[in-house]
Amino acid sequence: MSLITIFKIVGHSMEPTFFQGEKALVSNIPYLFLKPKINDIVVFYDTKTEKYFLKRIKKIKKEKFFLEGDNTKDSKRFESVSKKNITGKVLLKIAR
Amino acid sequence: MNFFSSITKFLFSVKVAYAHCDIPCGIYDPHQAQLAAHTIIRMINLINDLEIGENPSVEERKNFIHQISRYTKVKEEHAEIVKREIRILWGDYFKEEHLKQYPELNDLVFKTMKLASKARQDINIDEALSLLNTVQKIAEIFFKTKNLEPVRVPAPYPTFGEIVLHK
Repeated sequence: MSLITIFKIVGHSMEPTFFQGEKALVSNIPYLFLKPKINDIVVFYDTKTEKYFLKRIKKIKKEKFFLEGDNTKDSKRFESVSKKNITGKVLLKIAR
Repeated sequence: MNFFSSITKFLFSVKVAYAHCDIPCGIYDPHQAQLAAHTIIRMINLINDLEIGENPSVEERKNFIHQISRYTKVKEEHAEIVKREIRILWGDYFKEEHLKQYPELNDLVFKTMKLASKARQDINIDEALSLLNTVQKIAEIFFKTKNLEPVRVPAPYPTFGEIVLHK
């Protein structure tokens, strides 16, 4: 993982914050010093599918981060991840 | 690779992040694909049952075309649902070990995709029944991978076929 990674978004679950095809600048630097907090938009790595996912932190409970998309029509499913799976925090959006 | 490109790659790289609803939540089910396959059969039966007289009036022709259009639209939509649902199982649920355990899975998925495309193009009941059959076989494999015993029960639909559930 680079210090800063540009992620291209595929899917609709983060609309209207991120639309498909837009890019996000993601870095793990903030989490070297600070803990992830509620409402942070993060990219996490899922070891089962070996894919990166973009989601927002909705709840934090016992060091577990519960993530959800902003598009509630498309993203109703919660998943908890631990901090080690969080690749980084979204710093800014790069529009198409 | 020179020093500059190595540094650039270390600092910046472009990857794909999925913003899908399919966070691996473990919620997969072959039911929707079966339902859609039954719907295709039903639409083909309805199309084949449509009748029109020898010299239809403008009103009768309009009604006939209208009904055909409605059935065809639903048939096409459900063929796409079959493809989408099977693709989700294929892409997100089934793993390499499942393929080793059920080597016929590859071929079944391929056939299902092709038959679903044919279901869109044609009004062929035999192809639609074959589509349901391949979807059911995939459903049976799905339940087996979950250590559940699949069982075929009569479907409570006007298609009078079967649907795969588990015990």
